[in-house]
Amino acid sequence: MADAAPLVSLAGVSKDYPKVSTGGDRLRTLASLIFRRRDAPHFRALDDVSLEVLRGQSVGIIGENGAGKSTLLKIIAGVVRPSAGTVRVNGRLGALLELGSGFHPEYTGRENIHLSSALMGLTRRETRANVDAIVAFADIGDHIDEPVKHYSSGMVVRLGFAVATVLDPELLITDEVLAVGDESFQKKCVAWLERYLRDGGTLLLCSHSMFHIQTLCSQALWIHHGRVRMDGAAFDVTREYLTYHQEKTAAERTAAARAAESGVLRLLDAWLERPDGTHASTFRRGESLVLRAQAFEPDDRAPVLLFGVVRIDGTAVYGSHSNERGHVPARLEPTRFAWGVSFDALALLPGKYQMRVHVLDPEGLRLYDTLEREFVVTGETRDYGVVELAHRWLP
Amino acid sequence: MAHIAVPGAGPTRWSWLLLSFTRRELATRYAGSVSGFAWTLLHPLAQLAIFAFVFSQIFRVGVPQGYPGVTYTAFVAVALWPWIMFSEGLQRAMGSIAANAGLIRKVAFPHRLLVYAALAACCAVHLAGYAVVLLALAALGDPIRLTGLPVALALLIPYMLLAAGLGAFLAALQTLLRDVEHVVQVVITVLFYASPILYPASLIPKAFASWAVVNPLAWFSERMREVLLQGSGFVIGDLWMTLGCLAVFGAGLWFFNRLSPSFEDFL
Repeated sequence: MADAAPLVSLAGVSKDYPKVSTGGDRLRTLASLIFRRRDAPHFRALDDVSLEVLRGQSVGIIGENGAGKSTLLKIIAGVVRPSAGTVRVNGRLGALLELGSGFHPEYTGRENIHLSSALMGLTRRETRANVDAIVAFADIGDHIDEPVKHYSSGMVVRLGFAVATVLDPELLITDEVLAVGDESFQKKCVAWLERYLRDGGTLLLCSHSMFHIQTLCSQALWIHHGRVRMDGAAFDVTREYLTYHQEKTAAERTAAARAAESGVLRLLDAWLERPDGTHASTFRRGESLVLRAQAFEPDDRAPVLLFGVVRIDGTAVYGSHSNERGHVPARLEPTRFAWGVSFDALALLPGKYQMRVHVLDPEGLRLYDTLEREFVVTGETRDYGVVELAHRWLP
Repeated sequence: MAHIAVPGAGPTRWSWLLLSFTRRELATRYAGSVSGFAWTLLHPLAQLAIFAFVFSQIFRVGVPQGYPGVTYTAFVAVALWPWIMFSEGLQRAMGSIAANAGLIRKVAFPHRLLVYAALAACCAVHLAGYAVVLLALAALGDPIRLTGLPVALALLIPYMLLAAGLGAFLAALQTLLRDVEHVVQVVITVLFYASPILYPASLIPKAFASWAVVNPLAWFSERMREVLLQGSGFVIGDLWMTLGCLAVFGAGLWFFNRLSPSFEDFL
């Protein structure tokens, strides 16, 4: 059933939360609510967010803690009213903002299924027809007839997700629900979500697991300090997001100033290029990368070059030096030496990296100078780690 | 203007949810207790016993004129249960939003259902208690006019609408201003003694007579006695009082709905 109208559309949505630290603030906020004014003290949790989700799309919402992801999902779910902008949802909606949030601790699991289903919009008849399926999906055995207060948190989540599975919503909103529950139940949930998506369901998934986002979502939205920082294909957005985190960690670490340049031996330049000689800082996975460096050595003796590849967060990937192979650099002119290193069919996985180039005295004993060049490897992958190791699956 | 569509929202869905909420409310009261309903009956009975003892045995208050053959106990009981329904219902309705904060923060549904459910559960429990006490009094020889029960029940409807309206108003206000709860507790105690429950309206001094006229609690207390002890039917004043209660209910709900989208901001 092709429906051109988006299932969810948000236009210029903002959310202000009132600041009510003092009694005066509370009274002012109350007055502004009654008279529909906007002059109460507030802070902005979400700023001018626009989003369209088409039927059958699956969109991941990512961002740091406190970026406004949950507020956004709550607005779409109708739990929170936006302070500005419009929200339109054209379909039956199931929101799992927190699994088991509607459960009553004194009720048994089975009794809670009834209340929870009523909250999610099922009628009494629909609920009765589905109780057995819910119990089977939750798979918590005889505990189903015990009060929920005796449940482990994992069991609560199982039951909560099980209720959602029978709701059969056109749009499913989930906020970090896959993070809880044991491995096998997570797999069951992911399998259910994959089937749900295959059957044309629409998903809004908020998660800190880039793996889940990449597995389940085609699109992703990156919320940063309440605003949309990036919106696009899930692979691109998650890669940029990870890069941002890697850079953030690295920036915190390398606040220490680099040693002041001293001595006479120094690196004149270093750059990355493609095999055809064009300078570049972005390489496709599997492409060849060439490192070029030049150094000045006052005694006109060939120095030693050392390179190291690190991921942007500082993880060492690989390093080597020219002495290892007894390589002698090209002497461009007196006191001036040049190196070239080719990395054929780059095995690095997509991400942001740094090429660190160091020059050592001709004896290879003392480090004189360092240059750093950043580069990005692009491509799509579901592999883990830093480099692709040559491997083959045996029959 | 901000607009939220809540799909699948229909009267059937919400009535089923209201019923579920009410059942949960009832279950919560008795969860973990063995005798359950007996406790809800025992508390008002103890109150009744104290009043009956203090006023008829110590102060030796006679039953007012116009109630021939009625014991003081029956005189108080007839007005006491509706009062308990009103005051307890009001307080539970008022606390219903804060008590379900977790739900409001995570699930989209009309918040007023929580207010109704709190009140409905309270009414259900105390109506049952009321019925038991009235039958017991009648069995003990008090001239309870059981034929007046339908009229009495009909009068309880506007009375409880009043509680619902005030409860909704206070629940919304309470979300922003936590002081409300404390103020209401004091006001309810004052109202109990300021309303003709332990005494007839005819004993109210002339200086305060106008208060008795505007106090809806006085009206309903007196009317319950007239209906159940004197066999009165509907009077024209019931209509005005019903309209007044409906107005309070409408206003309370308007206020509640105005603030309800912002509850999540404060819980």
